[in-house]
Amino acid sequence: MNERESLFHRLSAACGGRGAAAGEPLAGVAPMAPEDDRVALFAKAFTAAGGVLLRGPVEAALSDLGEILRAEGVAALFFPEDDAAAREIAEALVPFGPFTLTTGAEVRGGNAAASAGFRTAEAAIAETGTVVETSAGGKTLLPGLIADVHVSIVPAASVVARMEEALAVFTAGPPRNISFLSGPSKTADIEQTLTVGAHGPKKAIALLLE
Amino acid sequence: MELNANSFGRNARKALQDKTLQEALGRTTGRFVAHRDAAVAAFPEFEATRERASRIKRDVLDHLDTYLARFIEEAEKRGAIVHVARDAVQAREIAARIARDEGVTLAVKSKSMAAEEISFNEALQEAGVTVVESDLGEFIIQLAGEAPSHIIAPAVHKTREEISRLFERHLGEPRTGSIPELVGMARKHLRAKFLSAGMGVSGGNFLAADTGSVVLVTNEGNGRMGTILPRVHLAVVGIEKVIPRLADLPTFLRLLPRSTSGQTISSYVSILTGTRRAGDPEGPERMHILLLDCGRSAILEGKYREILKCIRCAACLNACPVYQSVGGHAYGWVYSGPIGAVLTPLLVGLPEAAALPDASTLCGACADVCPVKIPLPDFLLELRSDAREQGLKTPGEIAAMKGYAGVMKRAGLLEAIERIAGVLGQLFTKGKGIGGLPYPFSGWTERRDFPAPAAQPFRRRWKIKRGVTR
Repeated sequence: MNERESLFHRLSAACGGRGAAAGEPLAGVAPMAPEDDRVALFAKAFTAAGGVLLRGPVEAALSDLGEILRAEGVAALFFPEDDAAAREIAEALVPFGPFTLTTGAEVRGGNAAASAGFRTAEAAIAETGTVVETSAGGKTLLPGLIADVHVSIVPAASVVARMEEALAVFTAGPPRNISFLSGPSKTADIEQTLTVGAHGPKKAIALLLE
Repeated sequence: MELNANSFGRNARKALQDKTLQEALGRTTGRFVAHRDAAVAAFPEFEATRERASRIKRDVLDHLDTYLARFIEEAEKRGAIVHVARDAVQAREIAARIARDEGVTLAVKSKSMAAEEISFNEALQEAGVTVVESDLGEFIIQLAGEAPSHIIAPAVHKTREEISRLFERHLGEPRTGSIPELVGMARKHLRAKFLSAGMGVSGGNFLAADTGSVVLVTNEGNGRMGTILPRVHLAVVGIEKVIPRLADLPTFLRLLPRSTSGQTISSYVSILTGTRRAGDPEGPERMHILLLDCGRSAILEGKYREILKCIRCAACLNACPVYQSVGGHAYGWVYSGPIGAVLTPLLVGLPEAAALPDASTLCGACADVCPVKIPLPDFLLELRSDAREQGLKTPGEIAAMKGYAGVMKRAGLLEAIERIAGVLGQLFTKGKGIGGLPYPFSGWTERRDFPAPAAQPFRRRWKIKRGVTR
């Protein structure tokens, strides 16, 4: 008997004889709230998680975003080559700079100092104020991982009410990485004092496209 | 991790005299409790979610063989390599072999209590691999050469001054009293490690059986970084962490961060399934999952099986008056607080940790806050009784308890003793209370007087009040 067989031998002896696995009935997922409510709830929860939410007319949002990025000392705007919406936003921000554009070779190499990473989110969750970004279809996760500031582009139609809805898409075959991002990287490991930017982005921004 | 649980009494005395620790505990546990209570109050579905989570976990324990087999099958289907270890020795061998076979010299690790259980770091170091802790609290503890004192906040006992001294000595950083600066120093140092490490090591908060996914919940983003950047990902996880389906995950995510820190959700939840796919620009080429039995299947067989429902939130630690007073090190192993007082004896054997079930006032606060409804006070009491049956109590203690039980079972005898005690007590203490008792009773009277027995026992007064005279 190999180690695995022996484990299952022990487990079956310990928990067996109690009938078949019941599983659990699926959670009663709340009926889909109207889009306006979902978006408003997401905005509230994302802000509560420490994120910065920008919405409204794109021109005004871009100007605000440019100001935030300058205040954070951001010099480079980093977007995945295959993410058209992220590219468009990053390019539109250049006049608010001085910013340079990059698709990532140097960021990947580890020189990610003072950069903002842009990416289109796959979904957002109203319940928790979460932005969902995955590796599905060969997409990169680096903009939300190693940049100092992360800008998620969230189409309003992609906001779902609860976590179950965001996961339902993936239960058949999840990609390697499904990430729930809720606000900036945080730590309270020193004297219980909440501090941002432990490892991931110091600032998490969601740009809501309505 | 070295086991020192039976020295709880000595450890606790030391902890009570440690000024820095007492300050840190005072500052932290109260805040954790307040945040948790506020988050629960703001979430009306908490009770229903808790009940649901408890039922799911019970179903998992009833069918752990089925769910675990499914998990392994799905994970392997997606490219992961699954290993199982019967005990810590075997787990260490497997971990070292994985590192050697993968040609790893530097590993970055995020927090994993399971890895602590098997002394993972030592095993890899013996195999010539440098292991860097990437959770800020664990990193600080690693620099200090200590063991973590809290499931969630391992450096809870360290002040910023102590941490700055550590960073000066080990990282060559200038001294600072600024916490953001300290965090920035660790970030810079650890970022370089993430980018050069061959292997990222993680624990696992949940294993989804229907998809073969390992789920990690973190606030710092270290778990995320260590499972995306390095070439190899190794997850070290206890077999009881399985949940039936990915669709069950939200239930647990609604409980864990709220119970731990009062957050609605942690900053990062990573759901990791298999290796990187063709066309993925990053992600590990190899994924190993090391599943630990290490005493769990034996627990599953017995009357304490519900302890395996634990999701390691640490709410019971923060709520426990004993933990609040002595902190985590006193418990002498990986797990502390009420969960440690039950789990440690079950995992390492009661004779090795018989002192721990006594480290409780049985106040019940732990059961009140447990998000998966583990009956911790019942288990503590039951373990005390097991300890007696196994002859792990001193003859004096057994005799005292036998005597106590004998009296408590006979109402007449109790009443007679109460009356005599009342008369003698008033006579000798003149109503002032008892002080300065000799050993072994000195513990009761060292710092305060023991109240003198009342002239008229309560039960007597009750009877008179109700008009029963005899």
